[in-house]
Order: sequence, then structure tokens, then C-alpha cells
Amino acid sequence: MRFLVIVKASPASEAAGFQPSAEELTEMTKFNERLFAEGRIELAEGLTSSADGSRVLFEGDAEPKVIDGPFAETKELIAGFWVLKGESLEEIVELMKQVPNLGPGEGVLEIRPIDE
Amino acid sequence: MRFMVIVKSNEDSEAGQGPSAELLEQMGKFNEELVKAGVLLAGEGLTPSSEGARVVFSGAEEPRVVDGPFTESKELVGGFWILQCRDREECIEWIKRMPNPGGEAGEVEIRRVAEAADFENMTPEVEAMEGKLRAQSAGQA
Repeated sequence: MRFLVIVKASPASEAAGFQPSAEELTEMTKFNERLFAEGRIELAEGLTSSADGSRVLFEGDAEPKVIDGPFAETKELIAGFWVLKGESLEEIVELMKQVPNLGPGEGVLEIRPIDE
Repeated sequence: MRFMVIVKSNEDSEAGQGPSAELLEQMGKFNEELVKAGVLLAGEGLTPSSEGARVVFSGAEEPRVVDGPFTESKELVGGFWILQCRDREECIEWIKRMPNPGGEAGEVEIRRVAEAADFENMTPEVEAMEGKLRAQSAGQA
């Protein structure tokens, strides 16, 4: 099975000028090295803040409407993601509990099976 | 530049109702166009959130696991593409042409994928490790 693991944004990650520290980058890269060594990683990327993004809204036959970021509902935004291979949801949940330092305060990961 | 294009869920996708034959056919053609233009890097659909879980971290506490389904269906991810485009505008133009035969209301979010240069605190060591992982990963594909 393959899974999309979504790292949810936080007020900190969406704040203008946010940058992960050198230590955080090192910890995350070490974690990725481990996932890679286990043959799990298909994709692993971070996204820039929603200020660099846009939304395209479809409705009926109307020309789609474009709205530029930033977007306000921080907790629903995506800050980064992995596509990982695993045997079960439970296995990926256990693995993801070990993700290093998602920053101060509350951090949320969402794990969703990919439709094959 | 690379972009993550996020197609949001709706009540049908959350109910496990697959796309119509018409949408599948048009989406297949659209994906073919993206491939021919050298734009498509990856693309996947997700199963309903009832099959997913969230891991919630709070300070030093043991992470909490919350099983799906999740209720805010309009903010959930239904599927995504990773596209290689010149800039955001080119990506928007592609997405405006996305097939929507049912004329359903829907939202697609376009977000730029961060590159090494976006990280001000990138160290030479991390960049080297990252580069090695990406090279090995490309070798595996």
C-alpha cells in the first residue's frame, strides 16, 4: 500500500518569513534518510507558504474563478507531505509518531491511503 | 518550478463514490496532455478519509491518534498532482482546463513546492544528504 502523509500548517509555519532552523532541517533529513533506507519514500516535499499559492474554483459552466493566497484557515492548509510505502495504516501511524520536532505547540499529520 | 495541485474532497468522494465513466475518460485525456507537455511529475487519488488517521503532537506528550472519517469535507484532500511549470500562472492555466463534466462546484489549490534555495538555514551537510537521497531515489524509479 501507499500513503499520502500530510503535514498540516500551523500559525508558525504560515507566518511571513518562517524558516525551519538548521537543527530542524538536520533532524528531518536524518528521519528521511531512515525512511529511505527502509525503502519507504516515494516523494517527500515541503511547500512554501500559502502566500505563494492560488485556488481555482469551479462552478457549473462558468469560467473558473482564481483566488490568490494567502489563505486564512491555517490548520487546514498543507505545509508538506510524504508519499510512503507501507503494509498497513497502523504501520505508518507508528512510524509517523516518531517524526522529529514539528515545531512548537500542536502539530498534526494526516495519513491517507492512496487509491490503487 | 514545481507545484502541488490539491483537489479537494466533496461529499461524493467522501462517501466512496468513484468518478463517473465520463469524468474518468476526460481525466485520462487531460493527464495524457500533461504528460505530453512534460508537465506531469506525479498524480494520485486518495481513498475516503474514513480509511485515514491523524497523528496529533502536543509538546512533549505521547502523540495522539485520531481515526477518520474527518468532517470538514471541503478542506480534505481528495487527490493531487505534482506539476512542473514555468510559473504559477502557467499552472493556473492548466488547472482551469481540468475536466468537470458534471459542472460540480469544486476547489483546487495550487501550492509551490519548496526547493533547497527556499530554506535560509540550509546547511551544506543537509543539502548534501538531501542531494544524495534524491539521486538514489531517482536511481530507484
